[in-house]
Amino acid sequence: MELLIFYAFCVGAVVSALLMVTTKRPVRAAMSLVATMSFLAGLYALLNAHLIAVLQLIVYAGAIMVLFLFVIMLLNIEEKEGKLAKNVFFIQLAGTVVVGILMVAMVVVMNKIGAPVAGAAVDETFGTTKAVGWMLFTKYLLPFEIASVLLLAAIVGAVILAKRRIDNSKA
Amino acid sequence: MSTTTGLGQSPYSVQVGVPAAVLKAKKVRRRLDLTLWEKLYVAEIVRGLVITSKHFFINMLGFIFPPAGKKRKVFTVYYPEEKLTLPSAYRGRPVLVAHADGSEKCVACGLCEKMCPAHAISIVAAEKAPGERYPARYTLDLGRCVYCGYCEEVCPKEAIVMSDEYQGLAQGDRNLLRFQKEQLLRPEGKVKTRLYFVRRIYSKWNY
Amino acid sequence: MLADLIESLAKIVFIFTVNVGVFAPILGWVERKQSAVMQDRIGANRADILGFTAIGLFHSLADAVKLLTKEDFVPANANKFFHTLAPFIALVPAISAFAIIPFGGRYELFGREINLVIADLDVGILYVFALAGLATYGTVLAGWSSRSNWSLLGGLRASAQMLSYEVAMGLSIIGIIIVYGSLRLTDIGAAQENFFRWGIFLQPVGFIIYMTCAIAENKRIPFDIPEAESELVAGYFTEYSGMKFVMFWMAEFLEMVTISAIVTTLFFGAWHIPFVTDAMLLSWFSGFAGPNGAAALAMAVNIAVFFAKVSFFIWLQMTIRWTLPRFRYDQVMRMCWKMLLPLSLINLSITGLVVLLL
Repeated sequence: MELLIFYAFCVGAVVSALLMVTTKRPVRAAMSLVATMSFLAGLYALLNAHLIAVLQLIVYAGAIMVLFLFVIMLLNIEEKEGKLAKNVFFIQLAGTVVVGILMVAMVVVMNKIGAPVAGAAVDETFGTTKAVGWMLFTKYLLPFEIASVLLLAAIVGAVILAKRRIDNSKA
Repeated sequence: MSTTTGLGQSPYSVQVGVPAAVLKAKKVRRRLDLTLWEKLYVAEIVRGLVITSKHFFINMLGFIFPPAGKKRKVFTVYYPEEKLTLPSAYRGRPVLVAHADGSEKCVACGLCEKMCPAHAISIVAAEKAPGERYPARYTLDLGRCVYCGYCEEVCPKEAIVMSDEYQGLAQGDRNLLRFQKEQLLRPEGKVKTRLYFVRRIYSKWNY
Repeated sequence: MLADLIESLAKIVFIFTVNVGVFAPILGWVERKQSAVMQDRIGANRADILGFTAIGLFHSLADAVKLLTKEDFVPANANKFFHTLAPFIALVPAISAFAIIPFGGRYELFGREINLVIADLDVGILYVFALAGLATYGTVLAGWSSRSNWSLLGGLRASAQMLSYEVAMGLSIIGIIIVYGSLRLTDIGAAQENFFRWGIFLQPVGFIIYMTCAIAENKRIPFDIPEAESELVAGYFTEYSGMKFVMFWMAEFLEMVTISAIVTTLFFGAWHIPFVTDAMLLSWFSGFAGPNGAAALAMAVNIAVFFAKVSFFIWLQMTIRWTLPRFRYDQVMRMCWKMLLPLSLINLSITGLVVLLL
């Protein structure tokens, strides 16, 4: 039963991700991405990581993608097919390089962690809000704080970029 | 209602209606800037909610236990069954006033036809006797009429007045809205209050 | 296993019946009738069956028949797929949010422990926020796919408004989570057995912020700028008719029920009567009904109290809707980012400090 749901979510995630990449219409691509995110949330939930699943829905599907849609609707009201740049080759090259680097990084990380032991007993509290919070604030406190500082810097940067320039010559 | 025209006084102080000294109006103090307490919203919102829910509960009580003998406090009129008695100032559909013998007062002078801003009136004049005109046909297109009342104001014979009729003006066919003389004629008694009103309101202009 | 399945199904059917079968049609009537009573009018009372009008209740029936038989209209240039999808995305979160809300305590009935909640999730209230985040798509897509300027403006306004108010809404709830130390709504409900531990006494500011944000999230007056009928015809659902229109309409009413249920659970003692604990209920009823009967009666009392409280908050929302005028768009945004968000942050830090010190 669980396996069936798992495969359904997997197929959904892959198909919607492919749709997102192949479609040329911005709103469709954005909605496919939302679907991918939702399927991923389902996968997290199946992995007993309920908090991560819900956060995935709240943050990525619920907040970030709405902003994407907002911008798409503001800029490109007519559903035109997006034009590709003339020099497709370099874009494709750049994409391949980025994906390649990501793949290498993933392989390295996976090797370091090691494959999960099959049938390993999962703690009853695994994935609960309490457990995740405990981990975040004890074992992974430094990465957590660094991430928050990074986000703060990004927010400050966004505010400064979006703010109107104050004319100093008048003052 | 005491109406004083500006005649004889300074032309710049025309006063219509009740003088301000007679009225005992409550003075409303209006400020454009809000105090801090009002800016907090919550207290003011609660004040508004108290007012509306007071109405709600009083009315609910009235619905559940209708007070005996008292007229209900709601302002709803059950329209097709109940009808409002309209004030004489109400301008409904224009009608022609008939003499006691059923013939129209209209002498087909054509003033209303000329005055009508919407060109809703068309008259075909004829003579009963030499020198005595009457409208052979009097057509009022109520699809065009804007209920301004100019025809009534201009009529020298009090032959056309605005009645208090407002029903039957929604038709699927525009031709049904072209009212002929026979449909428009009303006995004088039916439009009496309006006639008095017209005399009073237009007399002040000393025609 | 089978008993579990039957129990869950029974609970789902119960909640579905109460929400979709009772609240959704009745609220349409309540909205008309309450506004009428508040404004010294009489309200809808003309629809009758054989002369019986049942104080206007048949209007819901007449509405249903009218809307079901209406033409399902899709504008010529609209994106048909998203135009059809949008009302579903709007409705489904509104219905499924009720899954985690406890409508009664935990009782032993015929040797089975029965917890009166459909899904007692560990993430609890966050699930509601996740669904609220997804509900935004219904509005935005409806606005975008209709290919109408009114709809698009409504959709744009909705996306900005709902996104902004989600932030303040989430932060306003964290105070409650800190106080009770759990995300589970059943835990929060059970913790409010003591009348003086009700959320409203511990988090009054949180209640006001949550209520405001929830109404804004539901796009009702005074925050109905996405549908603002005097400016945008009907905003994001201008181009909808028939069944799809009903789905938006039902989503709004069901969200109202959900908001009331969450407010009840978080701030107003969930299923508890003040000064009466569940154990007291059980001991009273077991005097004449035996242990199983007592549990059943206590459950019934719990459910009745819970839905009475929910009805009160629905009434409150209706009263707010028929009392206040609409905010301007910039006022809505200013209120969120410059008043509610700082206020909820201050509330959060004070709560944290107090909890840490005590």
